[in-house]
Amino acid sequence: MTLWRLEWLRVVRTRRWLALVGTFVFFGFLGPLTAAYLPEILSLAGGDLEGATITLPPPTPADGIAQFASNALQLGTLVAAVVAAGATALDAIPEMGVFLRTRVDDLRPVMVPRVVVTAIVVVASWVLGAAIAWYETWALIGAPDTSAMLLGMALGALYMVFVVALVAAVASQARTVLATVMGSVVILLVMPLLGIVDAIGRWLPSHLGGALAGLASGAATAGDYVGATVVTLVASAALVVLSVRLFSVRDV
Amino acid sequence: MITTSGLTKRFGTRVALDGVDLDVPDGSIHGLLGPNGAGKTTLLGIIAGLRSATSGTVQVDADHAHVAVLPDTPRFDPWLTGREVVELARHLVDPDGSTDQVERVLAEAGLHDAMDIAVGGYSRGMLQRLGVACTVVGSPRVLLLDEPASALDPLGRREVLDLTRRMRGTATVLMSSHILADVQEVCDTVSILDRGRLLFQGPLEELLVGSATPRYVVRCRPPVEPVVTALEGHPWVRAITRPAPEELVVEVTDLDVAEAQLPAALASAGARVVSMAPEAVTLERAFLELTK
Repeated sequence: MTLWRLEWLRVVRTRRWLALVGTFVFFGFLGPLTAAYLPEILSLAGGDLEGATITLPPPTPADGIAQFASNALQLGTLVAAVVAAGATALDAIPEMGVFLRTRVDDLRPVMVPRVVVTAIVVVASWVLGAAIAWYETWALIGAPDTSAMLLGMALGALYMVFVVALVAAVASQARTVLATVMGSVVILLVMPLLGIVDAIGRWLPSHLGGALAGLASGAATAGDYVGATVVTLVASAALVVLSVRLFSVRDV
Repeated sequence: MITTSGLTKRFGTRVALDGVDLDVPDGSIHGLLGPNGAGKTTLLGIIAGLRSATSGTVQVDADHAHVAVLPDTPRFDPWLTGREVVELARHLVDPDGSTDQVERVLAEAGLHDAMDIAVGGYSRGMLQRLGVACTVVGSPRVLLLDEPASALDPLGRREVLDLTRRMRGTATVLMSSHILADVQEVCDTVSILDRGRLLFQGPLEELLVGSATPRYVVRCRPPVEPVVTALEGHPWVRAITRPAPEELVVEVTDLDVAEAQLPAALASAGARVVSMAPEAVTLERAFLELTK
C-alpha cells in the first residue's frame, strides 16, 4: 500500500470521481442541447410577452461550447474544490493527519499524490465533459474548430490544475474541509473581479477559464492566453510547494 | 533515549509545559501520569514532532521512521480495511520489511478476523487495537502511546498491555495513562506531570516508597476515642483518620519511629488491638498526594 494507491483508493472508494464526472458530463450534454434548442425552450416556457417577439439568431457551434464552458466552470469548479479539499485537508481529522505525519520525514510524499491524483481526476472529468459537449455541438449545431477546441480544453485543464493546487495551499492554513472550500472559493471569486481590469485579467489563471469559449468563438487567439498560461503554471507549482511547507511547520 | 531539557510550551498566556526535564532510559517502559490538562498530550506531541515548543530542547535517539506514535483516539480513512491501514503503516516505516508482519501484528492485536473489513465498521475499541497494530509494525525503536488502553474492554486492555510489555528491551516506550493500575503493571519508571510541571520521575518503587506519607492501619475494639486522643499527643503522629468505626489510619512522620513506638503507645492507651500493619502504598495514593 503506497501513498499513491491510497489516493487512488480515496477517489474510487469514496466515489468522489462520480461527483466530478457526473457534473462535467451533465453539462457536456446540457450545454449544446440548450444552445441548439433555446428558441423551443423559451416558447415552451411560455409567458405573456405582451405582443413582443423574441427573435434569436440561429445557434452557432460557439454557442454550444460557451453554454458548456460557463456552466461547467462554475459548478464544476466548485465540485472540484470540494473534492480537492477532501483530499488535501490533511489535518481536518487530526488523528488521521498524525498517522501519516509521524511516519514520514517530510510531507512531500504525502501531499504530492493527493494533489496529483485529484488533479488527474478533475482534468479527466473536464476533458470528458468538454469532449461530450464537442460531439453534441457537432451533432446538433455544427463542428467547432478542432484546434481551438483542443487548445481551449488544454488551457481549461491547466486552470483546473491551478484550482486543485490553490485548494491544497488553502488547506494548509484552514482546519476543516468546509473552511478550505470556503477560503478557496473566495479566492476563485475574487480573481475574476480583479480580471475586470484587462491589464491584470490577462495574466490571471481565471483568464484560462474562459479560454475554451473564447477560442471556440474566435473572439480570442492562442496568443491571448500566453501570459495567463505562464502565470498559472508557475503559480500552481508554487502553491503546491507552499502547501507542503506550510503543512510541515504547522502544529497539530 | 528520550530527553527533554527545559521544555516549555505556552498557548497565549497559559503555560501548558513549564520547564520539563524528562529523561526516559533506553529500552524502558515509562509511564507518564497526570490529571486532565496536566500537559501529557502536549508533551507527547512535542516529542513526536507534531508541535513546536516555545523553548527548550527535545532529543530522541532514533530516526523519525523508527518513532511510532499512537494518539488517544486513533482514526483512519474509513474506506480502508484494517489490513490496508497496517500495510500502509508498514510501507511507510519499513518499506523493505516483510509483509508477513502485517498479519502477525493484526493477530496480536486481536483483529485477525476483522482485518479485511472496512475500518468504518470498527468499534472504538477495534480502532484502538488497530492503532496499536500500526504502532508496533515495522519494529519501532521508540513508541509514544497516548492513553493506549483507554477505550478498551478488559480483554482488549489485557492484550494491549501484553503487547506493550513485549516491547521491553527492544524499544523505548513512553505511555501516558489515566489507568494507574496499567502503569503500575507494565512500567519500569514513571513521571508525574501536573499543571505543566514535572513533579516526579524515577523508578516506580522509588515513587511508592519515597513519595507517599507513611501510614499504619490499626484495628481495635471499642472504645476507640480514648486511643485516638492518646495517639494524637505523640509528636511522631501527624494525623489520624477513621475510615470505619473500629479502624484507625495513623499517619506518621517516619515508619521506623512508628514501628518502635506505636505498639507501646497503643498499649499505654489501653487499646484492644485486633490487627496492626503498615498501609500498602499504591500508585494511586502516591499520585493523589503529589498532585493534590
